[in-house]
Amino acid sequence: MTDLTGSVDPAGPPGPAAGDLPEAAVRRLQSDAFSSGLTVPDFAACLDLGLEPVALVQGFCVMQWGWYGPGSGYMRGMSPYAVASGGGGGYSETYRCPHGFVSAEHRTWGQNLEQPWVEAAWTQGYGSAYARMIEEATDMGAHGVIGVVDRVGTLADTGNTEFHFLGTAVKVDGGQPPAGGVPWSTYLAGQRLTKSIEAGFMPVAVVASLASVRVWAYCMTEYLMEGQVGMGWGGYASSGPQLVDQVSKAHMAARQLARKHVREQLVGDELHGATIDVATRELAQGDEVIDCTLRGNRVRRFKDFDPIAAPRPTVRLG
Amino acid sequence: MSAGAPSMPDLRAEMRRGAESLATAAPPSQARGITSDLSVDEALLLHAAGWEPLDLVCGVAVVSVPVGVWNWGRGAISLASDAHNAAVDQAARALRAECGKVHGHGVVGVRVDVEVRTHHIEVALVGTAVQPADGNDPRGRDAAEAMPFVSDLSARDFTLLLRAGWMPVGLAFGACFVYSPRRTAGTAMKQSTQNIELTNYTEAMYSARESAMEKMQESALEVGGEGVVEVKVTEGPMSFARHAVGFTAWGTAVKLVAEQHQFVQPQMILPLDDAVVTFEAQSLRGAGKNR
Repeated sequence: MTDLTGSVDPAGPPGPAAGDLPEAAVRRLQSDAFSSGLTVPDFAACLDLGLEPVALVQGFCVMQWGWYGPGSGYMRGMSPYAVASGGGGGYSETYRCPHGFVSAEHRTWGQNLEQPWVEAAWTQGYGSAYARMIEEATDMGAHGVIGVVDRVGTLADTGNTEFHFLGTAVKVDGGQPPAGGVPWSTYLAGQRLTKSIEAGFMPVAVVASLASVRVWAYCMTEYLMEGQVGMGWGGYASSGPQLVDQVSKAHMAARQLARKHVREQLVGDELHGATIDVATRELAQGDEVIDCTLRGNRVRRFKDFDPIAAPRPTVRLG
Repeated sequence: MSAGAPSMPDLRAEMRRGAESLATAAPPSQARGITSDLSVDEALLLHAAGWEPLDLVCGVAVVSVPVGVWNWGRGAISLASDAHNAAVDQAARALRAECGKVHGHGVVGVRVDVEVRTHHIEVALVGTAVQPADGNDPRGRDAAEAMPFVSDLSARDFTLLLRAGWMPVGLAFGACFVYSPRRTAGTAMKQSTQNIELTNYTEAMYSARESAMEKMQESALEVGGEGVVEVKVTEGPMSFARHAVGFTAWGTAVKLVAEQHQFVQPQMILPLDDAVVTFEAQSLRGAGKNR
């Protein structure tokens, strides 16, 4: 780590950090020593690849999207009539009660609804933290950022969400700067990055997306999730288990939407090493929010594929 | 490296070539980008075996478990077992449908997540749809697209299996729940002061095991498999119903497609270094922090 109080020549040139980086960061980045978050083996692999570490770069952003009152977009799922005017263009599927009038409490209407305002807030937080990390790297004149670690977590006790990015900015020895001067980035480092380059896949950027689907259960979903099946409602089971169509579809939709959002960022490139995480919050029988996060490395093929020789199987002793 | 292996490419030159490819903005593309959750190693291995990833695909099914199913009773809890098996079938069907949409011949590296709750069972399958790069499938292209295989084997295991002359044909799955027989009040009192085997629980486990394994083997035969590899089992009482025990078993059903099994003849190696240090960026945060 470079010392935050690293010396700066006041008479020197204004330095690369002409952007709006904090003053301490500018001073640190102007220091002669480089910093890197790479492990020693990764560091060695990075030098082998002709990548010169410049600095450990980071980006933070804290977001709140807990407001569910008027104007939040949340209200439009509350009534079947609000949906048509709500807009947003997201995924939505409506379910109607097959029973006719039963009681005022009977859920005659249900809906699976994509929550674009949650997705937008998440994307803003993730995107800002990423952009801030990239801004640091850009100011250093870096060509790329390797070994990116991102973390999305809850800020202690506040219920707010913290996005944190960390990576090692590098320059390609004798290489050309990326188009527009915006560094490329990847979660990979070390031998995995080397193999990826060897196979002809150049990292473009880390990409991620969140899809949020709210399930408003209608009567059938409510009964099925309460285990009241077979005789319509309120009866003891007399027939076999039944598929809970609405919830199954919502789960599928959340994953498909996350994939769709990521694909929109690929622009014809490939996504490698994707990870998919799903968090479900149950609010009542059948009522739930499904948040699905998908992230991975966007890579571009820069040479024709040349398959590696069939590997030789080995048995490792010891 | 073996003598026949290609010489090491100039990595620095390759890196510069890669950087050059990003030096100019990419032309706008309408291509449907490939998505995959394979690691770099797996993707390369798959390519070496002549297969390529197509898309990250998923299948989820939530099946209800009727009220009263977990109440005290005797023998198998067939409704719960049926619900579990139906959920897996349905999820696998959804996964196959997604695979079919991208003309995949199968799905590898399927992650199986199962959640058994009092009133519903949720099964989620996520994997990467793949196809042979040259379109030649040992099962025939049409047959393969009509019935893509689902396999929870990693791409590495898949590659090795192909090399040995076998193909995965589907996910074999079996689940069974049974009540552990009640002890009489007298037996329970007598046993409370003894260190003794609770044979009712042991018997229940055996009974559940047999049904689940049988169901798994049946499902392997249904998809034309000759056997099941990498069988995983879970067992134990339900957290919400301690008197009921569940047993699930799943693995990949496989079939010999070559004329006979090909012995892969592994070479023994004795590494002289310590355990291989792999990249794990999370370690940057220090052990145990923010977990």
